Amino acid sequence: MASTKTSVLSDNKPLSNLLGLAMRLLWRDWQGGELRLLFFALVMAVTSVTGIALFTDRLEKALILESANMLAADRIVSGRGLLPEEVLEKGQALGLRTAETLSFTSMAFSDSGNMLVAAKAVTDTYPLRGEVIVAEEAFIRGTPIESGPPVGEAWLEGRALSALGVEVGDSVFVGEAELRVGKIIIAEPDRSGGGMADNAGPRLMLHMDDVEQTNIVQVGSRVNYRYLFADDDQQKLDDFESWFRGEEQWLGKYYIRDVRDESEEVSEALNRAESFLLLGSLFAVLLAGIAIALAAKRYSERHYDYVAILKTFGCTSSQITTIYLAIQIVLVAIAIVVGSLLGYLVHQGILLLLESVLLVSLPAAGFQPYVIGSLTAFICLLAFALPPLLALRETPPLRVLRKDISQQKISANIPYIFGILGAIFLVYWYSQNFYLTSVLVIVIAGISVFLSIVSYLFLRSSGSVGMKAGSAWKLAMTAARRRRTQNVLQVMVFSVTIMSLLILTLLRTDLINDWQAQLPEDTPNHFMMNISQNQIEGIEAFFNENGVEGNAFYPLISARVNTVNGIIPEPEEDLESASERGNLTENAGVDEAQYEEMRASIDTQSSAAMGALNAGDTEATEEVEGRRVRGNLSRRQVTWADELPDDNRITAGSWWGEDVEPGYVSIEEDYADWLDLELGDSLEFEVNQQIISAEVSSFRSVRWDNMQPNFFIIFSPGTIDHLGSTFLSTVLMEREQKILLNDLIRLFPTIVVIEIDALIEQIQTIIAQVTSAIELISVLVLLCGGLVLLSCVNATLDERFHENAILRTLGAGKKLILSSLLIEFATIGFVAGLIATIGAEASLYYLQEGIFEQEFNFHYWVWLAGPMLGMLIIAGLGVNSTRQVVSISPLNVLRKVV
Amino acid sequence: MIRAENLTKSVNTSEGVLTILNDINLSINTGEAVAIVGASGSGKSTLLGLMAGLDGSSSGDVFLDGHSLASLDEERRAVLRGQVVGFVFQSFQLLPSLTALENVMLPIELKGDAEANEKAKQLLERVGLAERGHHYPNQLSGGEQQRVAIARAFATQAKVLFADEPTGNLDTATGSKIVDLLFDLNREFSTTLVLVTHDERLAKRCGRSVKLVAGEIVSDEKSEETIVG
Repeated sequence: MASTKTSVLSDNKPLSNLLGLAMRLLWRDWQGGELRLLFFALVMAVTSVTGIALFTDRLEKALILESANMLAADRIVSGRGLLPEEVLEKGQALGLRTAETLSFTSMAFSDSGNMLVAAKAVTDTYPLRGEVIVAEEAFIRGTPIESGPPVGEAWLEGRALSALGVEVGDSVFVGEAELRVGKIIIAEPDRSGGGMADNAGPRLMLHMDDVEQTNIVQVGSRVNYRYLFADDDQQKLDDFESWFRGEEQWLGKYYIRDVRDESEEVSEALNRAESFLLLGSLFAVLLAGIAIALAAKRYSERHYDYVAILKTFGCTSSQITTIYLAIQIVLVAIAIVVGSLLGYLVHQGILLLLESVLLVSLPAAGFQPYVIGSLTAFICLLAFALPPLLALRETPPLRVLRKDISQQKISANIPYIFGILGAIFLVYWYSQNFYLTSVLVIVIAGISVFLSIVSYLFLRSSGSVGMKAGSAWKLAMTAARRRRTQNVLQVMVFSVTIMSLLILTLLRTDLINDWQAQLPEDTPNHFMMNISQNQIEGIEAFFNENGVEGNAFYPLISARVNTVNGIIPEPEEDLESASERGNLTENAGVDEAQYEEMRASIDTQSSAAMGALNAGDTEATEEVEGRRVRGNLSRRQVTWADELPDDNRITAGSWWGEDVEPGYVSIEEDYADWLDLELGDSLEFEVNQQIISAEVSSFRSVRWDNMQPNFFIIFSPGTIDHLGSTFLSTVLMEREQKILLNDLIRLFPTIVVIEIDALIEQIQTIIAQVTSAIELISVLVLLCGGLVLLSCVNATLDERFHENAILRTLGAGKKLILSSLLIEFATIGFVAGLIATIGAEASLYYLQEGIFEQEFNFHYWVWLAGPMLGMLIIAGLGVNSTRQVVSISPLNVLRKVV
Repeated sequence: MIRAENLTKSVNTSEGVLTILNDINLSINTGEAVAIVGASGSGKSTLLGLMAGLDGSSSGDVFLDGHSLASLDEERRAVLRGQVVGFVFQSFQLLPSLTALENVMLPIELKGDAEANEKAKQLLERVGLAERGHHYPNQLSGGEQQRVAIARAFATQAKVLFADEPTGNLDTATGSKIVDLLFDLNREFSTTLVLVTHDERLAKRCGRSVKLVAGEIVSDEKSEETIVG
């Protein structure tokens, strides 16, 4: 027996040598086109993530900034009476910019008239955010100015000028102070935010230093003080806010607010937009990840031979790992540079597109979007690209002799497990939202299980599978079966991609529809209250004459539930607690602090005014002041009506019909739940010191955010009509029509008009901006999705080329092959579209209920459109990509020239 | 140079264990040219794969350049291949994304030789393809591709050259030229040649011919027409 060498065979190639080789391979693969698909997928990931992150980062900052304009500040501290000086001092000590405002209602006089105005005194630094738009003439566009009036001047809204009969340069009197009319106010940033004191009449703005001269504001006067704070450093603002909230002695007395507290509508729009943008970039990352995984899989499949040959020439498995790792790291580094650059350009492009709709100038973006883009690329590489590439190390060198060997030995599942874990990590990392991650994971897992079952059934039914090249249908179906595993994977990728696109499209449509429904173009922007029965006709006539479209008049009367079925109700959960009331008083954008201010500023008409503003609840104020006694339920502003108000929906029982009889009542569903009411219950009310009984005939859902009069309790006509009431109505007045308010108030001096046009306009502006951002992100994600679909189709090209070349060699016609390809892709597309629709609807249900706080409705049309779209898109892409199959000579395909 | 001892290779199939090679004993001396012949499925390529260390045996051992392959793991077998072995395949096995020159450079580069480019150029010149170095495999004819493969096989001055049906994909005339080239270089580099073929004429050009039938050696004879030795 020959002796055996004992020398150690060590892998002694220096690392630099391997890295050099790796770089040469990288360069050669690049030149040979092998790496392009993977590179483009990586660049796509970085570009889309960086682009979207840059855009959302800047847009979010801008939206918050723009919204801050509604407050003229980032934070506001308000309350009744003088505010503690130390609040202002603390803000200044923290380096915040500060300003003060003081609102009160007062009569303004001139030589030729007088009127009740909503006066507001401001300090020099006002406004901290946004601008006051002023002009020399009333009702024109005006120019922005970043300050209030100087000492000695009064700035007035156009309507006040005509009522007072003055022009710019004339004098007006506020209390004992004589002020010169300096400018006409066209718009004011925080016009909508002041509560009753700011909504009771046209604005008169003056300098804080002139207040003393007026002699109006005395100790005990009903005025609203506000401290305004702003700074670009969010941390400072947060520090200030937590300091303020820590001072317990101010609890319930003074309030701190930011824009999200200011308007439920704006806050909701912002929250939803953020969630949507997040979801959009999440899908972009996921789709890019899928594209990377597909490209890496194809690249690695094309490299089996490569590795086998390298191994034949002495390359060890660890050297293979080093080489491919080095190639990928360099590739990712280049992709990050190129992707970041393209991401920057994409976001600039978006801004260019949006130039006309983006009404705010965007603040500069930070570095974070680039970091997010780069990290995403590396995570995608680790999770999606490396596993199939590292599996290459397992390629047996024997493959150089036996081609079929690698597929048997290389585990195909490990890369998917990495990919799935990577995808879950990415979703969580991006969203930091466990609920969102769970929804997506569960839906995608559901799709996988479903597809596994389908493929199993398909497998069982298949029997013997040949080419069955007799007809295009049979050929397509047997081809689909032969590539069963591959097709199941492909359907999965198509499903997830189409699902992402469907979710975004449907969500986008629902959000926008919801906003449009919430505040349609013709939303009435003025409330009129304290109208007596005999004034209604005159008001209607006035509107008719002046071409203004009036709305229904609702009777308004204060009532209290005494007993339910003879028993005094004692609800456990306090619906009227401050937190709950936030939900129930949205209809006029009133929050707790404003509520307090309103109380302070309304005298005789208080109950009517507040009733209209906040869903008819006056007791809540009693509760705030601690006067509420359990067992003695709140007074509410109730009404009676023939017809169900718009935006109300009967959820149980039925609305009274034409032959309505007195003695019935319809209750808002949450209120009914709170009182534990059932249909048919007998309620006893105290109305104007009289006892009235009524039977509950229906429960209603009410849309509280529609800025319209809404009621917890509506009686059937005839039940309380005789008890006397005032009336409430709404009207839409365009800016140029506002002058009519002067005539209206002169003709009907007892009515109270509350102007919410500025609030509605601001909300509409913000919603319009958010909408355009959402549209744009949808388009970007659609593009990503398109690229994934293309990569997925391309991933199976090699095999299709080969198989169809054989068919053509055996005499199959072009038409047969093309038809069979069309049928195969269309079938895959149809199945993917159907699964995507199921997945999208399921995801939407959880997303809308859990994150977007929207009511979920089935999208019936999608059940038809989803599968059809899937079919059209996949068939189109598939046939377009594989058309070459019939145009290249079969010999070239078989010799692997393509 | 190569010695197979009681070499057996069997695989598990759905119909039970299939023995591809059964108790093969074979010794090949340095500088010898040996043809392994037999019908399709007789186990020729499997034997070549085992002797070259591309695969592991089920039992028995192969000693390649004094190393027991059974005692080496795949990593060490790879290092040994890099030091000792060169290959020529029926399907050429050129890397499609590399040019002819780069394909020849690859094994030299893997050895860490800084003069890979120079050496590869010389070899391409030797096989008559000096002008085609920058062409990709799909731009070359079958004969040209095999010449590049031969240049690559001799690039690292391997001690043993394994050739698996080197003319199998070529027409007779081209195949004949390739064979001439292969034997010329083999003589020039004093390489031990193990050649799998079912072309009897080609087998005769080797000094020795080993015939396999159903995984067993049925004859082992010296040829009249010898190249080496």
